[in-house]
Amino acid sequence: MSQWDAIVIGAGAGGGVAAAVLAESGKKVLLLERGKSLSFAEVGRDHLRNQRLPQYDNNVGPDRDGNPRVFEHDGHARVVQPWEGSYHNNAACVGSGTRVYGAQAWRFMPQDFRMATVYGVPAGSSLADWPISYEDMEPWYSRVEWEMGVAGDPNALTMDPGRKRPYPMPPGPLPRQGKILRSAASQLGWQVTSVPLLINSEPYNGRPACAQCQHCVGFGCPVDAKTGTQNSMVPRALATGNCTLRTQCIAERILTDHTGRAYGISYFDTNGERIETTADVIVCSGGAVESARLLINSRSHSEPNGLGNNTGHVGRHLQGHVYPIVNGLFEEDVYDGIGPGVSTATCRFNHGNGDVIGGGMLADDFIITPINFHKGMIPGDVPRWGLANKHFMRHNYRRTLGIRGPVQEIPYADARVAVDSDVRDRWGIPVARLSGSMHPETLRTSQFMIDRAREWIQAAGAVKVWGGTPGPYLSGGQHQSGTCRMGDDPECSVVDSNQCVHGHDNVYVCDGSVHVTNGGFNPVLTILATAYRAADGIVKRW
Amino acid sequence: MPEPNFDDFNEEQTNTLRALVNQIIPADEFPSGWDAGVGDYLRVQFRRDLISWVPQYKEGLNSLCAESRARGAADFSSSASDVQINILTDIEHGKTAVEWSIDPKFFFNSAISHVMEGFYADPGNGGNKNRTAWTMVGFEVTV
Repeated sequence: MSQWDAIVIGAGAGGGVAAAVLAESGKKVLLLERGKSLSFAEVGRDHLRNQRLPQYDNNVGPDRDGNPRVFEHDGHARVVQPWEGSYHNNAACVGSGTRVYGAQAWRFMPQDFRMATVYGVPAGSSLADWPISYEDMEPWYSRVEWEMGVAGDPNALTMDPGRKRPYPMPPGPLPRQGKILRSAASQLGWQVTSVPLLINSEPYNGRPACAQCQHCVGFGCPVDAKTGTQNSMVPRALATGNCTLRTQCIAERILTDHTGRAYGISYFDTNGERIETTADVIVCSGGAVESARLLINSRSHSEPNGLGNNTGHVGRHLQGHVYPIVNGLFEEDVYDGIGPGVSTATCRFNHGNGDVIGGGMLADDFIITPINFHKGMIPGDVPRWGLANKHFMRHNYRRTLGIRGPVQEIPYADARVAVDSDVRDRWGIPVARLSGSMHPETLRTSQFMIDRAREWIQAAGAVKVWGGTPGPYLSGGQHQSGTCRMGDDPECSVVDSNQCVHGHDNVYVCDGSVHVTNGGFNPVLTILATAYRAADGIVKRW
Repeated sequence: MPEPNFDDFNEEQTNTLRALVNQIIPADEFPSGWDAGVGDYLRVQFRRDLISWVPQYKEGLNSLCAESRARGAADFSSSASDVQINILTDIEHGKTAVEWSIDPKFFFNSAISHVMEGFYADPGNGGNKNRTAWTMVGFEVTV
């Protein structure tokens, strides 16, 4: 008999939900997290060491030491550390990225699940449809919105015909930047929507409303109004008495018997001791980089390239979001200090853009720290030092408004997570090796979105506009997805529509890895909802 | 106001660093970089994340003085402000009068980044004394 009914590896968005659903159905669950449970004070407000600016370190893990990855670019491989961009870090703590994220809670659109059908498959890409539809996802989106608590547009039911329930909370107060952009959108005839947020706009789930502070994205919430799995689903799992959370425990591999069937895992505990434990069901929720690494490291005689990897798809199709960024300078203050800042979006350009493939959502931004503003938002023609630079900051920090948005990426197989043959982490586990870049169609879509953002900010009255198309580069980071893609055909995918690894009836993936495509939206609501759906399926089929 | 103590730097290097910081962020109605705590930030960082930078800073600061001497001044910090600005502008454009042991542009660009961190980041990092930079730009922390 197994020691656990289920082991969930990773207490982030997907793992937190999976643990709660399984534990609430009476299953005995071991929830492993490689990071720590972090208090508000531990997350801190360090402007140089946070998820938005990990200049020297980050505030939500992994630790600086002993957690390298390898990044390959133009044939050269180098070891990279968690605070470097090429590491593609999300987080390592209870709640993972949801501990400090901006909490944008977007549903993907119906077309986002059928990208290949809608647009065809561009040469060199691995664009594909999901095996499930928006209609399949709708009840699960709704469940997350109501159980975790999303504040969103009161007109959502009319704007989104596929939606069955409104948001449980209205949006928070509209900051000045949102008012300016709404008025400009109305001149342009563009429909706008309030940005849905997993942030309480009124007391919900026993936690208070947002206090409108200036340290939202990248930081913890001072009043606990921001909902992550660390203050919602993980506590729910623990409250059942059926779930054991073990932090600072890193999974080494999934253990398989001589027939290749998974029966447990090995992991290193907080003292570095190697432990083997058994379970009937194993759920991988490490994120698109670490879940792929774990599967590949779980090689066996029957699957020499890694568990579920006989067709070579594990780790491939890595994608995140490229972000077009356009900034505008105004003659008056656009900043009023009302956090979180992001408030107003248009989804008009997510699809239906002529010969452009897909598109993306555009929105205003979170309040940005002054040092981040200096590093990223000063126009190129302003001197980089001296009085002119100081005066730009002094006069224009509050007069600058940014529009940005995630562009739906066109996946391709060469953007990938593999495992390095030499470099190991502090526990001796082979580390992730990242390589590849971005499909040219992604850049073309990005350029199209830049032009739309420029149009919007000019209509808003900006007297100077700057910004541009980033890339091409490998995309992953906080929106990492795609490395264990979902599909009906085992030749072209890693998990089936139940998120069960092909060829295994008891190994599941519940995180962004399963996304076939990543929408033109922040992906967390879809990660939460697919995890809900998958875990519910595990329980029903038990 | 107590001066930051840079154990590894000689007096000329400390004076040069102060002058460099104050050209990157000069005083106006708001304090200069050094007076707003950039030196304090660097002192902390030279023992923390920028520890490997200390030898490069020494080289760079020595070279700044050599550039000044090549233009007839005693050292960088005692050069007239417009001379200091000319030297830094030349470096920014890759022009130097003397041989440097490190890449001058890279040194100056890195110094700009470090100085801005000391000025604009949170006071918990040792700089941005009394939230000077935040007051200047209008970043208020309400909660």
